[in-house]
Amino acid sequence: MLGLLTKLKEPLIETLLLTFVPLIISVILGFLFGTLVFISSDSGIIDTSNNWGLKILNKISNAIINIFRSVPYLIILIWLLPITKLLVGRILGWQAAIPSLVVSATPFYARMTVIAFSEVNKGTIEASKALGANNFEIIFKVLLPESKPALLSSIVVTAINLISYSAMAGAIGAGGLGYEAYQYGLIRENPPLMYMATLLIVLLVFIIQFVGDLIVRKVDKR
Amino acid sequence: MISIINVSKTFKGKNDVSAVKNVSLEIKDKEIFGIVGYSGAGKSTLIRLVNQLEKADSGQILIDGVDICELKGEALRKQRQEIGMIFQHFNLLWSKTVLENIMFPLVLKGLPKKEREEEAIKMAKEVGLEDKLDVYPSTLSGGQKQRVAIARALVLNPKILLCDEATSALDPKTTEEILELLKKINKEYGLTILMISHQMETIQKICHKLAVMADGKIVEQGSVDDIFANPTDPLTKELIQTVDTGVDVNKLSIELKDKYPQGHLLRITFSDKTSEKPILYSIALKLNIPINIVSANLKMTQAGSLGVIYIHIEEKKDIGPFLAELELQGLKVEVV
Ligand SMILES: Nc1ncnc2c1ncn2[C@@H]1O[C@H](COP(=O)(O)OP(=O)(O)OP(=O)(O)O)[C@@H](O)[C@H]1O
Ligand SMILES: [Mg+2]
Repeated sequence: MLGLLTKLKEPLIETLLLTFVPLIISVILGFLFGTLVFISSDSGIIDTSNNWGLKILNKISNAIINIFRSVPYLIILIWLLPITKLLVGRILGWQAAIPSLVVSATPFYARMTVIAFSEVNKGTIEASKALGANNFEIIFKVLLPESKPALLSSIVVTAINLISYSAMAGAIGAGGLGYEAYQYGLIRENPPLMYMATLLIVLLVFIIQFVGDLIVRKVDKR
Repeated sequence: MISIINVSKTFKGKNDVSAVKNVSLEIKDKEIFGIVGYSGAGKSTLIRLVNQLEKADSGQILIDGVDICELKGEALRKQRQEIGMIFQHFNLLWSKTVLENIMFPLVLKGLPKKEREEEAIKMAKEVGLEDKLDVYPSTLSGGQKQRVAIARALVLNPKILLCDEATSALDPKTTEEILELLKKINKEYGLTILMISHQMETIQKICHKLAVMADGKIVEQGSVDDIFANPTDPLTKELIQTVDTGVDVNKLSIELKDKYPQGHLLRITFSDKTSEKPILYSIALKLNIPINIVSANLKMTQAGSLGVIYIHIEEKKDIGPFLAELELQGLKVEVV
């Protein structure tokens, strides 16, 4: 038992890296991208009725999100191999999985941001405008705090998605628990190892969900 | 002083909606000015033009001589801080406490934290919320939420307060309290208040002047006393009627429609010239249509007999000729 766990220590760390490194990058990029989509839409922040530049920007960024969200992760992984080589200098190891994980999680979080912002009361945005708030203030002092619970619970969902993607990233030798369970547990017929690795993944998901829910409940004032 | 001069606004779309048509109004300093009209009349659009939440297509809106339609960016935002606004659904920041909500405009203005708090607490006392500072707005009653909104709107000491159906989501007692508060603030601070409502009663209670709006146009305006004593437009008469008899016409329509879901339900409005003759009776007799009067509200006012009658006609009858005859006699008929 203890032997099993020590054997899984390395893969566990890899899974954590494969989850949280792309999570942080994707949440930041996704938030910015989602904000761009939201304010260029008919959201009442900027008057888009005669602004063709904004309308086109909105259409394009929306299309990018939809395309990347509908392509399966494994395909993105393969597409990105050449770029990965350029970016991180190698196509093996956990570092090599980061670009593809970011590329698949960023549009997801961007969409979640748009949804979270859309749920903010339009009247509240309008009232802030009437009080003299500029667009920057509306985004960071109104939209962001008002949609904090939704943005946080989306981080949880994104993290859990990343755990399952990271298992697939094992295909390029990214390591992690999923890869361990598959490669050593299933193929090399070591059932205890397979079950233990799977159990750890399940536990990890439970912990993230639990802690996430706790935080969301604490910040939700509605 | 607010001078609205020949302002028009059309919403472009599949079907263009001309919401405000060449409206001119003058609102003097320290005045409480009410705009009343039915739903869709363009009241909200008009009031939102005053702080440029909506851009006018043409015309001018001068606030102390400065045309706000011409302002952009920072200048517009500065001017907006001189104009408070409250809304039907309060539009508070639900993630912030009462105190933080009231402080929000001061944060935008960049005041230091200590001054912010002092100012906001002072304002909270003014609206009677000093013991609710640290609670979140979702736990407040409607009246208290509107008080937060009022405090937030006034914390920058604006000269003007815009109220878009500020009491329409409140019960009668709370409405009364909020109106009293607005009246007090108007007196104490010399605040100019522009308020809109679909209820004449609300307007009548606190406004000095009023304008009646229908289909994007102002059909009548003047001092509340004058207009109540001598209304000229039929719509004004109808709106006053609802105050005099205490009957909310829209509510009555809905109640009657519930009671008589089948057949035709008509609302006939009598004006001063028509109510003396037995028109309804004679037309019904002539066309052989059995009518059932289900609600009647006729009243003598200084302007003559005004009133509304609801009649119910059974389903099978063709009411086309009946309607035509009534209109011919100068009655206003609506199918409910
Ligand atoms: N943003 C918009 N886009 C398109 N049409 C609009 C918009 N806002 C208002 N309208 C239309 O303009 C007309 C006037 O609307 P407005 O909201 O000003 O009426 P109102 O008098 O305030 O009515 P209510 O009492 O229901 O609030 C309506 O026909 C409405 O459908
Ligand atoms: Mg309105």
